Amino acid sequence: MRKVTDGSTSLNRRRFLQGAATTGVAAAAGCLGGDGGSDRVPMDVTEWPPENLESSLNMWNWYDSWAEYAIDAFGEEFDVDVSNSGYSSADQWYSQLQAGNDEIDNIAATTNWVERSIENDFLHEIPVDIMPAWENITDRIKEASSYQQDGSTYAVPESLVLYPLTYNDEYFDSAPDSWGVLWDEEHEGNLCMWDNATVSCQIAALYTGQDPIQPDDYDEIEEVLIQQKPLLQTYWGDYQQGMSLFVNEDVVAGPLTMGRTYSARFGEGAPVHYTAPQEGAMYTSDLFVIPKGAPNPIASLQFTNWASETENAAQLFETMGYQPAVDISDELSEEDAEFTNWPDEWNLVFSETLSDEVRSRYDEIWTAVKAA
Amino acid sequence: MARSPRSDDERSAESGKRLAADGGSVSDADGRLSDLTSFFRERPRLRTLAIAGPPYGLLVFFFAIPLLAMLVVSFQTDQIGGAWTLGNYVDFLTSETYLTVVWRTFLLSVQVTAIVAGVGYALAYSIVRFSRRTTLLLLLVILPFWTSYIIRMYAWINILQSDGVLDSILNLVGLPALSLLYTETAVLIGFTYVWLPLAVLPFYASLTNLDADLIEASKDLGAGPIRTFLSVTLPMTINGVVTGVVLVFIPTFGSFITPRLLGGTNNVMIGMVIENQFKSAFNWPFGAAIGMVISVVVVALLVLATRLGGGLFGTGGETS
Repeated sequence: MRKVTDGSTSLNRRRFLQGAATTGVAAAAGCLGGDGGSDRVPMDVTEWPPENLESSLNMWNWYDSWAEYAIDAFGEEFDVDVSNSGYSSADQWYSQLQAGNDEIDNIAATTNWVERSIENDFLHEIPVDIMPAWENITDRIKEASSYQQDGSTYAVPESLVLYPLTYNDEYFDSAPDSWGVLWDEEHEGNLCMWDNATVSCQIAALYTGQDPIQPDDYDEIEEVLIQQKPLLQTYWGDYQQGMSLFVNEDVVAGPLTMGRTYSARFGEGAPVHYTAPQEGAMYTSDLFVIPKGAPNPIASLQFTNWASETENAAQLFETMGYQPAVDISDELSEEDAEFTNWPDEWNLVFSETLSDEVRSRYDEIWTAVKAA
Repeated sequence: MARSPRSDDERSAESGKRLAADGGSVSDADGRLSDLTSFFRERPRLRTLAIAGPPYGLLVFFFAIPLLAMLVVSFQTDQIGGAWTLGNYVDFLTSETYLTVVWRTFLLSVQVTAIVAGVGYALAYSIVRFSRRTTLLLLLVILPFWTSYIIRMYAWINILQSDGVLDSILNLVGLPALSLLYTETAVLIGFTYVWLPLAVLPFYASLTNLDADLIEASKDLGAGPIRTFLSVTLPMTINGVVTGVVLVFIPTFGSFITPRLLGGTNNVMIGMVIENQFKSAFNWPFGAAIGMVISVVVVALLVLATRLGGGLFGTGGETS
């Protein structure tokens, strides 16, 4: 074999290939990720407060404005360098967990994604019994959310997310009491629906008196959604777009989240409010989880407890308009308290994770409706 | 002609002179570069591998493997480790709903492509034939690419919405408001705006290579402007036209953001259906199957276009 020799700078085929192979393996390892987490796990913490917090925390929280508050407040209090990756769709972080997380410490995840993550063993168990702020979580959300398996707890509720009927309170004299307002020809061209198969089909299920989690007449759901189509201005597919429809008064009624309704009303001065029609309204919860592979799991655990302290949870409502999992009534102004109060007579249905069959049927129906 | 390799002694001596003359670090670097050059010069197969390997590696890693993974998933019942099935393809290809969506997507893509090709060709032609500030105009054409796609769509929402920029201007000149947002027209405008640069650049490249004397010769022989365009200009730039058409048609076919943000209730496209399978229906195998079918359709159209155009990437005017 010929060699190019020049003292320390010599190269040969074997060294070149070795180097290339090493680089390739390293690059592949980097691309594929791996279990790069800390040696400690949250369940190693047996007394509160946890000691020896890591110095940084990378969270994925889609409550952007609250996250900005948390970055400063938590960072200063615990001397931790906090960063946040806002996301718009849960599959963004879920795909990272599937690939082998070595970056994300804390996620604000919706219930159905938490369930999927638990089923796939992507989450650390959390020692909620020793966390002081666990007591702050209301019983309502503790009982409604699905975050436990075989006696283990894998998440801490962060917020309640209501999918109400949002309406223009100058256009309507009083809150519409039925989803039927979205099928009322009197409002033709001034209505919208959410471009979301599950949400829209569940509204149609409620409107037709069916169980939105396990409906028994899919044809009727499809039929009423097709009937509704000519009355709508559009299906909104982006939260900002949905809010803008109400802010610009392009529509007078349609589904929107409570948080966006709050932002439209108090942030943009739009004449909007929300209600739960008599047929019922769906709600779900977002929860803090600590994914396996988290490089800073103890800081993440401390953060989860901190976020559930009343003062910090109240900021979630102040900044985003979502109802935190903690009772914050003492922290609110009268106006805010009125807005966030959900009357006891409201018929609220927790958005349980749908079976594969129901989800698939809803998706087929929604595609057929849009193609009709 | 190959140069005779220098001996190690010669190289060492030369390296030593450099050290004395320039200081160590620069000559060391030169020496290493020279060694590396010689190393590859003497090993042509390794050199070919070093040059062609990275791009092929990227293609394999980021295109072929994901495509293969998608193909595998499309034949499974579950995302990971499911049983093998043809059901996903059968469900898609036998569903009137999904085929209707594909047909609508095709029609919309054809409309968008036709509009972009017409506007883009006229723009490129005017830049080449009648403008002196060519660089500035081309810069303006590609300027939108410096802004996020989503932001550009939101800009169009502000322009097209009721009482938006467009309606305000129309009102100022005494015309009635159009309120185009959430209509098919809004989707066409959005697509045309987004894809126009992709068409203008190949059109411009092919028109630049067109020999202007041929146009003059056609006119001298008595052909009018339309006949000259149809018998000289267009045939001589057909490769650029085909390239532009393909570059517009393919991304339009797979789009889902523009129709979602600008379209009303009747603008469902197959890209939106695929997106739903992955993001909300969690039926990845079905989404993968739709994606594979659409990929095959698009590749077939690409091959057809290539045959019609005589060479997809030849943007010059030298058609045979």
